[in-house]
Amino acid sequence: MINLFRPRRTTPRLDRLRNLSLFVNLTPGELQIVDGLLHERDYLAGEVIFDEGEEGQAIYIVAAGEVMICRQGHGEAGRLAQLAPGTFFGELALLDNSPRSAQARAATACQLIVFFRDDFVGLLDTHARIASKISRELAHHLGARMRDMALAAGAHQHL
Amino acid sequence: MQRAAAQHTPAAGQQSSGPVVWISIIAGTCLLLFFFQKILWLVVPFLLALILYYFLYPSMQALIYRGMSREAAASLVTLGFLALLSVLGLALMPWVTAHISGWQDIFTGYIQGGLRLLDRSLRALEEHWSTLAHARLADTVATRLAQGTGSVADHLEPVAIGIMAWTPSLLLAPFLAFFFLRDGRRFQRFLGDAVPNAFFEKTLYLLHEIDRTSRAYFQGLIKLTLLDTLTLAAGLWLLGIPGPFALGLICAVLAWIPYVGSILGGLLVVLVAATDFPDAPGMAYWAIALFMAVRLLDDFVYMPLTIGKSLELHPLVTVLMIFVGGAVAGVSGLMLVLPVLGVVTVIGETVGVIVTDPRLRARHRHAKALRREQASGDL
Repeated sequence: MINLFRPRRTTPRLDRLRNLSLFVNLTPGELQIVDGLLHERDYLAGEVIFDEGEEGQAIYIVAAGEVMICRQGHGEAGRLAQLAPGTFFGELALLDNSPRSAQARAATACQLIVFFRDDFVGLLDTHARIASKISRELAHHLGARMRDMALAAGAHQHL
Repeated sequence: MQRAAAQHTPAAGQQSSGPVVWISIIAGTCLLLFFFQKILWLVVPFLLALILYYFLYPSMQALIYRGMSREAAASLVTLGFLALLSVLGLALMPWVTAHISGWQDIFTGYIQGGLRLLDRSLRALEEHWSTLAHARLADTVATRLAQGTGSVADHLEPVAIGIMAWTPSLLLAPFLAFFFLRDGRRFQRFLGDAVPNAFFEKTLYLLHEIDRTSRAYFQGLIKLTLLDTLTLAAGLWLLGIPGPFALGLICAVLAWIPYVGSILGGLLVVLVAATDFPDAPGMAYWAIALFMAVRLLDDFVYMPLTIGKSLELHPLVTVLMIFVGGAVAGVSGLMLVLPVLGVVTVIGETVGVIVTDPRLRARHRHAKALRREQASGDL
């Protein structure tokens, strides 16, 4: 008898997705569902990915190359962070449609994976288990960022 | 009754559309309707396939949720639907073959019943209005109707030929729906990938809005049809009119065509009431009252519950566009104008926002310059 619900085999593309921190807890089957929602974009060094103040519609995951997060119009002096492959940015766009807090620009030629907010919201409705796993990773990431910011501001308190 | 099309609300921080965008939206809608009228053989199955797609989509999602691949889930729900249709067809076949010979008499009977009701109503009016009596209104109308109606066969023949001509293209609907289910997302990604980086997020937003608009419209339409059918069937059953469910369903489906469909549905109910209860003319008036009550219930209660107030276009625009749709493309225009206007509005407003955004255009120019530089770097 054909087993329509059999476990799926993993592929190099799915392995690459599983190595990304946002999807680290997903099973191959779950990764395949998420993979159907992701978009890939190539950017050249210096190309703007999104502007500060722009309404966020998607989260970006660095698949290859590096991305610079900076204050818009401040050049090198405005650099806030440089992101390596496997990391993600613009994550607040998954939670609300508030404006982007900084500009993202390709530091080198890079390949980004884009996860659109409406797809994530759809996932919450149709695949709550997958969405909860991604949300948990997102919460870990945001918690770590808050702790870093608190430490950087010299506030010695536990968050 | 007006079936409301969806309205796209520009995202926060975006400027609302100006008159140029709106004129383009209306002109685009008219052009599309004119074009669609020419390829109606494809548009109607496409529209039915869209309705089927949104009807089957929740079942496919449920199967995917349980771990099935999209391809297998799309195949299974489409096959399931076709199997259900076949079972229904086979179950109804003996009944249809037993009654088909009597349909012509039934049809003639209902037409005669309607004519008798009209004649009775006009003569009652003549009794109270001397002007109408002097004009011999009832006799004039009866003579003209007798000249105009002709034999039943004259009317049935084009209907039968029309059904035979349309059947092959209607069979396209489940076939198209299957591919919408299986490849819809792939097509969306394909469109998104063709867009330059600078406009990518806005384009994704546009595609999702079109999908959301269509989904809200068609799923709302299915729910609305179900609610209309049940309410009309309950009312007709209480009045004692035969075949209440079938009659309710026909009227609810006819109501997909704004205004004209409602009038046809109302006429159908009155014909049935007048024919099946020839000695109780009050029954026809009760049927009219029921039909009007259901239409009001539909417009003020069911519509906000299903298609939703937030999706409605401005009532004035809706009414004007229905007339424009009818003028441009006849009955097909009436039926298509609201969903087409809804989708064109989303596209028009979003394209308007993208094209008039100087920052996005500047980013696109910058990206093009970078790519040119890269391509010519070693020259």
